[in-house]
Amino acid sequence: MDIKAMVRTLHPLEVKVLNHYKPGTELSAERLVKELGYIEGQANQALNWLCGKELAVESGRVSKTVYELTPLGKEWFETGTPDERILRHLSEKGAARLPDLAQALAIPPKDVGSAFGILSREGALSMDSGKRAVLDTGWFEAAHSGKEKPRIVLVRDLVTRAAGEKGGILEEAGLSAAERTAMGGIAKKRGSGDAAFRISDRETVMFTLAAGCAEAVAALSDAGITGGEIGAVTQDILEKGSWKDSAFRPYNVKGKPARLELGRRNPYVEFLDSVKDKLASLGFEEFDGSLVETEFWNCDALFMPQFHSARDIHDVYYLAEPERARFIEQPHLDAVAGTHENGGSTQSRGWRYSFDRDFTRRLILRSQGTVLSARQLPTAQVPGKYFGIARCFRYDRVDATHLSDFYQTEGIVLGEDVNLRTLLGFLRMFATEVAGAKEVKYVPGYFPFTEPSVEVHIKHPVLGWFELGGAGIFRPEVTEPLGVKVPVLAWGIGIDRMALMALGLNDLRELFSLDIENVRLRRNMTR
Amino acid sequence: MVFEELHGRMLKSLRFFNILPETRGETHMPKIEVNETLFFSLVGRRYDAAELEKLLPVAKAELDEWNRDEGNEDDRVIKIELNDTNRPDLWSTAGLARALRIYSGDPVPDYPFFSRDGDQREAVFRIVVDASVRKPRPYIAAFVVSGKPITDAMLKDVIQTQEKLAWNFGRKRRTISMGVYRIALIKWPVVYKAVTPDSVSFVPLQSDRSMTLSEILREHPKGREYAFILENEPEHPLLVDSTGAVLSYPPIINSNDLGAVKVGDSDLLVELTGTDLPSVTLAASIIACNFADAGYCIKPIAVDYPFDTDYGRRVVNPHYFQAPVSIDANRIGKLLGKPFTPEKARECLARMGVRSDQHGVFVSASPPEYRNDFLHPVDVVEDVMIGFGMENFEPERPHDFTIGRLTPIELLSRKVKGLLVGMGYQEMIYNYLGSGRDYIERMNVPGDDTIRISNPMSENFEYVRPSILPSLLMSEAVSAKAPYPHRIFEVGKVAYRDVSANYGTTTRQKLGFLASHANADFNEAASHAAALLYYLGEDNAVGDSEDPRFIPGRQAAVLRNGSPIGVFGEMHPRVLDNWGVTMPCIAGEIDIETLLPGASSR
Repeated sequence: MDIKAMVRTLHPLEVKVLNHYKPGTELSAERLVKELGYIEGQANQALNWLCGKELAVESGRVSKTVYELTPLGKEWFETGTPDERILRHLSEKGAARLPDLAQALAIPPKDVGSAFGILSREGALSMDSGKRAVLDTGWFEAAHSGKEKPRIVLVRDLVTRAAGEKGGILEEAGLSAAERTAMGGIAKKRGSGDAAFRISDRETVMFTLAAGCAEAVAALSDAGITGGEIGAVTQDILEKGSWKDSAFRPYNVKGKPARLELGRRNPYVEFLDSVKDKLASLGFEEFDGSLVETEFWNCDALFMPQFHSARDIHDVYYLAEPERARFIEQPHLDAVAGTHENGGSTQSRGWRYSFDRDFTRRLILRSQGTVLSARQLPTAQVPGKYFGIARCFRYDRVDATHLSDFYQTEGIVLGEDVNLRTLLGFLRMFATEVAGAKEVKYVPGYFPFTEPSVEVHIKHPVLGWFELGGAGIFRPEVTEPLGVKVPVLAWGIGIDRMALMALGLNDLRELFSLDIENVRLRRNMTR
Repeated sequence: MVFEELHGRMLKSLRFFNILPETRGETHMPKIEVNETLFFSLVGRRYDAAELEKLLPVAKAELDEWNRDEGNEDDRVIKIELNDTNRPDLWSTAGLARALRIYSGDPVPDYPFFSRDGDQREAVFRIVVDASVRKPRPYIAAFVVSGKPITDAMLKDVIQTQEKLAWNFGRKRRTISMGVYRIALIKWPVVYKAVTPDSVSFVPLQSDRSMTLSEILREHPKGREYAFILENEPEHPLLVDSTGAVLSYPPIINSNDLGAVKVGDSDLLVELTGTDLPSVTLAASIIACNFADAGYCIKPIAVDYPFDTDYGRRVVNPHYFQAPVSIDANRIGKLLGKPFTPEKARECLARMGVRSDQHGVFVSASPPEYRNDFLHPVDVVEDVMIGFGMENFEPERPHDFTIGRLTPIELLSRKVKGLLVGMGYQEMIYNYLGSGRDYIERMNVPGDDTIRISNPMSENFEYVRPSILPSLLMSEAVSAKAPYPHRIFEVGKVAYRDVSANYGTTTRQKLGFLASHANADFNEAASHAAALLYYLGEDNAVGDSEDPRFIPGRQAAVLRNGSPIGVFGEMHPRVLDNWGVTMPCIAGEIDIETLLPGASSR
């Protein structure tokens, strides 16, 4: 970065330092606090920023002892040290017994006792025959006129000086030998609550302004940057119009902005919504239903025999309580039972077993979305198109490709003239409109409730051919007992796989991630 | 991106529109291994992988694995997945090869050893069924395989076919099981009877000592595996020869003496027992046709029942019991969307191995000996479709006009989601199954209304969630490192017990929201709830609430016409402690179905 560009990025705190000191000057944060009126944090920032731009270098570290006025010290400064208050009291009110002094001045008796001990050793006080402390006025005058300042005066000087310093700090280096001795009596390193000063060791980092500063100062001058440019545009600036006479300090616009925690839709749900919108736009009406279903609607109505191996206890979740629905809607129950037993009026030979009307009421967690299609049939319009994205439950160990519950997308088409070729037409429409595929092929499939059955495969640019969905024409044993006399096309799309692709994921569990950070940072990879 | 890996793992496992759950345990959709040499010799021609892949769909089969570079072709296997659970004839090397062979133009084979009504074959042996077996396992079918010694590939295939038939078609041996024996050791007639489990002992396969039936069920690995089939049966099936020597203990295990078969044996007895006569008969037919295709000679065996069966008191197997199915060619055309003359339909059926006759516009299709899947005339239509070739049907653009629309609850849910996002909430989506610990104990609720599963996979998925709040807290429990504030919500389903409903349960669409940060307090929850209700056009009516999940006095019920439809407030520290959450949380839940026009609470 050239110098002209660089100086535009200087903060006013840096500009002020550059304009104030010559190259080679040794600076510390403390010096900037003292001389430029910076607060300590600003001083440190200015020096660190200058180092970052190679306009200053760290030239060393100096360790020193400092004395910091405590709240007690501040009280001494304002209302007098205990010594001063004792002397003032005796001077104004005359001689007094120590316990009376303690009570009058609200100083603990032991502190009054030790103060008297020191002051009498120094010759300022003595004890009369009535055990009263008496002021030695002669000592007092002699002490003030002598060369050596007495301790009590040194303490007053220290407290007064410290109170005048920023932060109440006195450096050890700035004290005379006598002052250091006096300080020793009133400062502590730890437990400084009952001392006037706290002793601490501080390390000061020293910086030296680099030679390049001269060039920077010249560039600042050329650019007309004084350090007084407007930073934040405030309401006050706008109201007063003061911006008209000033320039705006340019900001670093390439820095990393702070992160925002915003409200946001879930990418997986958004994906599901987009599929719903697409299907609605193709003329499909959405259906929905209960998570708890009966064996009747889940399987029997779909002409799956009650002894079918997919209806095992190891495939479907049963409710512990209640175990059964109170009833199954008529006339559906009789019609479906008859169809299973001997085909009923459907021209089918049926499954030829005795339909269990108790078992059919068994409550389960819906195991397939097709249950919604079956439930729709008795009230479906002709022509009619319906779809649902249904949460289904399967008896499976949860891993990257299996979930306890997941979505299935299914639908039906009713029409006087719908047929296999119409079905292929719909599948092609889903392949191109929903999955965005260009190449589609169909192969014979098998589903217990459709005949004929087909699978639709599409070509993914990376994956190659894969199965998009299954479909077929509902068996008459499914539709006729539920009162439907026209052919019904039934289809399903593998929505989870499409979602993983859209979201760039490869583990089904991530679709339902609990991890807030993971979800917040996830991006939708489509479009 | 790991799409390739994904491809392999997911394609099979994510079947949908399919009642059959995943094939993890091969419970439903069988996968078979065919010996390469045997398979192609039975097909009558060799195919490369691409040709095979293209042809397999006519048998609703998929190529699963074929490592053509490993070993020599006599030992190599091809793995194939079969999708049609109603076509057990395809679950074997010979059966699959037969379908491909006929489809490719070979003639429909003749199996002259089948007995038909009024046309019985002469039996070479006899099995006598005792009345005692009627209750536990009444039916048996059997035949003799002879003519040449059994090869290694054929023996493996028979074992595989037996397993698939008994497991997938026979429901884990419940309705069908099978045994193979060396004829030379058997004294005829063989008797099929039932005995009390402690009255007989014999040496079973995979054992070296004589065991009673009870001991076999308790101690033998196969006995333990299949004991459930004979649970509660006082008498168990047993197959013995005329000297009383045990052949097998169906459906558990064969005898180690008569029931051990190895490569090189010839003259075998194949026997199937079961509870459903058509299934047992069909399974016997499938095995017989498979042996016949491989060049073996099949000889019939008669079974004499002391009771009436659908096929009479004497059944000679293999037995053809299937009936022809008749369909109007116009109906075929209507369903397939393309006109078919009866002649054209019959041509297509022939490619599927189906013989047929013609009566005017009607086509009468006779199922092949090894199939029994024509339940309805539409089943014939599918064979016509496959025979004609899937690729020859041109997709047709749908022309019926219908109006598409989303459900009212979906539309309302989207409105709610928009508002929550505007208030700074991240939408989440959760699974609906969880543990009693998470849904009940940690939530500090009694859990009386929670739906429990009686056969959970594990205690981690034993309950249906009754509320969205535990899902949100699960997120909090694992997200302490995510920068705060956290504001999350879900609009989703919950279900709980409801005695007034037919199903004893009810499913509702709810909104759950939760915010977690250092200053989260009741006022924030109240503001968010109020803003939501305002923009949904609802009154901001709240009342006192005593929900144990929230701090008493810092929670409110959302009221609609005086009835509570939700709650919000500060989560109780006891609940947070249960979840190991140490940041203050506010949360709320509202049944948004009550806000629909015409909802019951209105």
